[in-house]
Amino acid sequence: MLPAAAVYRFPWEINSGAVQEGESVRTFGRLTCYQPEESRATFSAQHASKEHHVVVHTLFVEPFNPIIGAQYIVLGEIENADEVGVMIRARVLNCVDGVNIALLQKAINEQRSFFSEREHKQIDAAQPEHVT
Amino acid sequence: MQANKMDPAEEPPSMLWGLDPIFSAFARLYVKDIVQMTESTQVPGIYFYNLHPIYKVDVLGTVVYKREREDFFCYGVDDGTGVINCLCWKTDLMKEECHPTTSGGKHSDGARGGFNPVAELEKLRRAQQSRCHLEIGELLRVRGPVKTSRQQREIMASTFYKVNDPVMAVQIAWMMEVPQLYRLCYDKPFQLQLNETGDAAISPLSKATNTLRDFLKQKSVTSFRPYDVQELLQPLISCQPQAASADQEPVAGPSACQQLRQLLKEALQILQDTGTVYRKVKSQDEVYHVTAHDKDLLIAVKDIIREDSKREKYAEKGCHIMHVLSAVRQRYSLNVSKAALELVLKSLECNSDIVSTSDNYYTVF
Repeated sequence: MLPAAAVYRFPWEINSGAVQEGESVRTFGRLTCYQPEESRATFSAQHASKEHHVVVHTLFVEPFNPIIGAQYIVLGEIENADEVGVMIRARVLNCVDGVNIALLQKAINEQRSFFSEREHKQIDAAQPEHVT
Repeated sequence: MQANKMDPAEEPPSMLWGLDPIFSAFARLYVKDIVQMTESTQVPGIYFYNLHPIYKVDVLGTVVYKREREDFFCYGVDDGTGVINCLCWKTDLMKEECHPTTSGGKHSDGARGGFNPVAELEKLRRAQQSRCHLEIGELLRVRGPVKTSRQQREIMASTFYKVNDPVMAVQIAWMMEVPQLYRLCYDKPFQLQLNETGDAAISPLSKATNTLRDFLKQKSVTSFRPYDVQELLQPLISCQPQAASADQEPVAGPSACQQLRQLLKEALQILQDTGTVYRKVKSQDEVYHVTAHDKDLLIAVKDIIREDSKREKYAEKGCHIMHVLSAVRQRYSLNVSKAALELVLKSLECNSDIVSTSDNYYTVF
């Protein structure tokens, strides 16, 4: 069985409540803290002059080489853990240090705006049919 | 998961599929669209995205699932919009495990002066294996036809390889490019350019240009003035205002005569740009010379190449087109365009008056 598609989400969207439990996501962030005994890593990202944190459960991707301060891409499912709140159970964790984060954000936005543009067009195209 | 089949009446006829350029390309569609596109009822294995017939695709994504069999790998590829199985057959080279002859490679190494085909083949095999053997989380590029097996879409990889993308440059470039491809190609409806039957598809300007070109060719005109050919375009103008006034109030637009002159001016400009005609002298008297029928120009160009090919500088390679162009402008007419000269050179070459020694170089024997 194939897993669900992991859609790009910005780190600041993970904790905002916009993402449902069980949803597959992929996001990025700088590794700030790793607690191997709990299989828990914390990633952070800057957005709108605020620091956003994402907690990642790393049991499935261990062992990995934790480089504090490096950029990572994480792909996994959203879980609500009691003590930490929203958490991503990682299926894939890749170090992508050196990535141009600004460009990546632009590419994600580009893809999103394409899909919303296309949806609007489809709605527009479908509407006259309903009227007549 | 499987999208419902299309109404056969909506499908474009299969005879026209090959005319759609997307049909013969590997379409870079989102996995989401590959999974959802409708399969043809006429020919299974052909799919439709926005009425574009598609049978092979090009995908880049993260491996999120893998299964290895004796003959093939099955990778689940996630591009952020959907996940699809990719069936990747192993080549014979990959299936072979460690070669028993590798240990014997050393002594033949010296005998063949450092190049040992067996060792090189082994290196190639290892490189191929490392490129084709992926783990979960790695990036895979795969192209091949789309198949539906057991109600599931999958890609039968004709090419697949691991992409090394440590700083995501490839993925970001791909994410930026694909929406553009959609806007420019996949989301645009396919329209046939009907030349014979669908006259309405051709703009009046290109019709005018074709009319003039045909006239000059058939009548072997060597030179003309605009008013000589003006009435040829008359039929193109008279039918136009009817179409415009059908759904709107007649407005004080340009008169038919002005329209005609404007159309003629634009058509002549196109003929000049393509080199079909040129003006030998730019004066009040607008005389256009037809490049292909201008004997003087042909002789002038031939003479230039004949004379200059004798000079030491050009003896070996012949004269470059830009050299011929500047010579023609000095000795014959300042207004000869490069496009016109290219036409002249082509017709001289067809008559074997001149010979091209390499790209853009000409000589006379």
